[in-house]
Amino acid sequence: MKKENLFLVIVCFTFFNGFAQHDSLVNHLDQVIIQADYRLKEHSVGYKVTRLNDSILLKNTESFSALMRFNSPLYVKEYGAGGTSSVSFRGTSATNTAVVWNGININAVNNGQTDFNALTVSLFDAIDIRSGGGSLEYGSGAIGGTVHLNDYLQFSEKERITNQFVASVGSFETYNGLYKINVSNAKFALNAGLNYVQSENDYPWNDGDLYNYNGAYQNLAFNVNAAFLLNTYSKLKLYSANYLGERFFSGELPNPFSANDKYNDFSFRNLLIYTHDKGKIYQEAKLAFISDEYRYFENEAVDYYDYGKSKRYIANYNISYQWPQLNASISSYSEYESTFGNTNKILEKNRKQFSQSFIFEQKIGSIFDYNAKVRKDFNSDYEVPFTYALGMKLHLNNGFFFRANGSKNYRVPTYNDLYWPGQGNLDLIPETAWQADVGIGFKNNLFNVDIGAFYIDASDKIVWTPNGDLNKPNVWVPINLDDVDNKGVELVLSYNNCFNKHHIHVDVNYSYTESINQETGKQVIFVPKHLLKGSLGYTYGRFSLYYQQLVTGKVYTTESNSEDFIVPQHAVANVGLDFRLFNTKNNQCTLGVKVNNVFDEYYVVQPRRPMPNRNFNFNINYKF
Amino acid sequence: MKMNKLISQFFVLSLLFLASCSSDDDGGSNPEESKGAYDNGILISGEGSGAGTGSISYVSDDLTISENLIYKKVNSTELGVYVQSVAFDDDSAFIIVDNANTITVVDRYTFEYEGEISTGLSTPRFMVVDGDTGYVTNWGDPSNDSDDFIAVVNLNSNAVVETIPVGNGPERIVENNGKLYVSHKGAYSTNNIISVIDTDDDSVEEITVKDNPDELFINSVGDLMVLSEGNTIYDADWNVVGQTAASISTIDTSSNAVVEELVFADGNSPSLMVLDGSTVYFALNNEIYAMNESASNLPSASLLEAEGFMYAFAVDSDRIYATDTSFSDVSKLNIYDLDTQEKLDTKEVALGAAKIYFN
Repeated sequence: MKKENLFLVIVCFTFFNGFAQHDSLVNHLDQVIIQADYRLKEHSVGYKVTRLNDSILLKNTESFSALMRFNSPLYVKEYGAGGTSSVSFRGTSATNTAVVWNGININAVNNGQTDFNALTVSLFDAIDIRSGGGSLEYGSGAIGGTVHLNDYLQFSEKERITNQFVASVGSFETYNGLYKINVSNAKFALNAGLNYVQSENDYPWNDGDLYNYNGAYQNLAFNVNAAFLLNTYSKLKLYSANYLGERFFSGELPNPFSANDKYNDFSFRNLLIYTHDKGKIYQEAKLAFISDEYRYFENEAVDYYDYGKSKRYIANYNISYQWPQLNASISSYSEYESTFGNTNKILEKNRKQFSQSFIFEQKIGSIFDYNAKVRKDFNSDYEVPFTYALGMKLHLNNGFFFRANGSKNYRVPTYNDLYWPGQGNLDLIPETAWQADVGIGFKNNLFNVDIGAFYIDASDKIVWTPNGDLNKPNVWVPINLDDVDNKGVELVLSYNNCFNKHHIHVDVNYSYTESINQETGKQVIFVPKHLLKGSLGYTYGRFSLYYQQLVTGKVYTTESNSEDFIVPQHAVANVGLDFRLFNTKNNQCTLGVKVNNVFDEYYVVQPRRPMPNRNFNFNINYKF
Repeated sequence: MKMNKLISQFFVLSLLFLASCSSDDDGGSNPEESKGAYDNGILISGEGSGAGTGSISYVSDDLTISENLIYKKVNSTELGVYVQSVAFDDDSAFIIVDNANTITVVDRYTFEYEGEISTGLSTPRFMVVDGDTGYVTNWGDPSNDSDDFIAVVNLNSNAVVETIPVGNGPERIVENNGKLYVSHKGAYSTNNIISVIDTDDDSVEEITVKDNPDELFINSVGDLMVLSEGNTIYDADWNVVGQTAASISTIDTSSNAVVEELVFADGNSPSLMVLDGSTVYFALNNEIYAMNESASNLPSASLLEAEGFMYAFAVDSDRIYATDTSFSDVSKLNIYDLDTQEKLDTKEVALGAAKIYFN
């Protein structure tokens, strides 16, 4: 009945295992894992959830973007390696992808997005990628799907201290150092970590003289999480994630040497949770304070910058009631948020929001789970639509299952959309999207297969366009313009097997996406129709060899789908070899080498910004 | 991304013919004289945007041929963003890409790459050629009001050999009798001067005009004419609260005195002034107006209302070419009969179409 244990047995998760998953979760079956975001594990019935565990995170420390590019089902749009970067689900956009830190949506107040190169994720214990609408739980922007950054804490019977040290050295003077400590006993658990990354990132471009000029970056992340068992029924949890980053924005063809801009960002995220779980009633109270700041230097040599700052205060109360006779639960979530945001060109604005949601969940026998959810928001700036969601999963014989979910979701206008000087539009309404998603699958000890289809009908999409306001000729303003239908199919397949001492692992993730603007009948820009990711792992004794393959289809960059303006299809592969130096109960050490872009493919994901050619990374992972 | 840079870019509405265009005999009816695939036609430069590279399009005078991305077709590389303007001498075209701090030099009729100027420039805007020397206006760091300059380029070596400091935000530049005339639109802020530079000793004299002077040219009687767009005024919360006066000023080039100043009605912000013969054309609220260069009053009736978003137009003796510019897609070029204003044709042209030149 302990909710924390459920996480390990929930079958609807589609694990994307990577290669060396042996050392992560499996060892801890007897442990009690505490998560901050109880809704993700409880209420994802009918959704496809992909998990990247810490062993994958620590093997892909180059950047969050690189991690997602090769290991998630998402499309990653990056302005050159290390530059501004965003991800999207199912043909939607960066503002339709919510990034959720321990249950809190952390998309920026100013532009409604998360920059995937302004976040280090190596310190997190797992990243869950949930495809499908999630406004009901995570609010604005959770239209295409949600990316969850989660910390796990665990109490232990015996007092335990583990340390982990990971270091890597890569091409283009890339250095990454990470230290993590876990301390736990029966009543207390602490995770703390420090991660520093720096890179010159000056990789050569296709022809001799040009290189990724002004592309250097460095960042420092510092996380502390703690849980206290106050008594049999109640716990106090504390999460803090802090990030300081400095990036230079690299140039583009034909003359990268003209680039001279710089970007700094700082974020401080703090969350306090009190839980009380007694009998049939579970209660949870949360307080969060999140502050973000960016500084954009148009000329790094001059001490002048544009900036944006935001502060968010969130208070939240949840109560859920277990209904043993019905094998059901009903939960209520009430949340109040006050957001302050300003930039050097927008005076401070305060937005207040209260939201209330109810979730009903029931299991019928051992074969059918479903849930129904509703949410209403009250916002000081505009009307937010009433949202609802339904999810179900049917477990058939022989490991087959059927899943389905449908929901209504929204994205509210950002501060830039509303208040940008001379251009912001106060008459904007939230974007809304209906989405449905069905899948059939099969799971046994060897195979895990999920074949699904999705449909998203998005309306009133906010688009910046010249002459959007007839009173302001020639001025770009945001308006509720586009209606877009996205539909597609997705395939996830994984296969694991052991032949004597030979362990083989295969993962395939393919999606076909049509994202059609209903007015023009054309594919939306920067949406590849075909996206294929695959990996192959082979372990023998102390050695593990792996291969990752990415194929991203052609994307159009103009609304009319002009063939003159495209990003061509590209196929990129990485290979790696790990060697387990020693592996005792208290000491584990692995050495690894990875060759990124092993076939030295010249490719771009944004026009005129070549991506890194073949490059190397050596790493050591020591746990004691 | 570079949101502020991008958005400022959107505000910068501009167009000019550089005075050195030499191919006046429109029609191009002597094919034996063709100097290359892109002779006897017009060139449309497009700034480009996040949706695609800056580029040049060609439309033949007889309107039978129209071709996009001609630089990329000939040279297999892209120009980058933002293609701000193109300058010409008898043989070459100089394509100015401001964010790339680069001027790409091509044969103006074949568009074959000849060289580039990629050092010594800092947010270059416009260029004029005088013999073997090019003069390029540069904003420097746009957030710095005092680092703006004219780069003097040796066109034999494609090197910046000298810089002449000038006031904030130099924009258009023309040459006349050993003097350079530079309008100072003020980059991302505002300015109200014309710099007059003596190329013998680099001495700079300033003439004050109305706010945000942009297009300028020497008219048929040798006077300098300048269009000032006026400056948009914001309150502390960046709401638009007004507009300073706009004007068309005529300046006597021997005395540098403003001899005529036609001031627009309150709130009006004209743009895109061009000269054809002795007729001045300008745009106001997406309509084209015409007047004689010596007129003492602004015209009250417009000649033509443009379709879509007119970001550039040009006039030759019998046609008006007006863009319907898109920054997220290919643009359109609408071609009208000058006398009847009847639309003759529409062509698809460069993404972010911004300037039109006769070739």
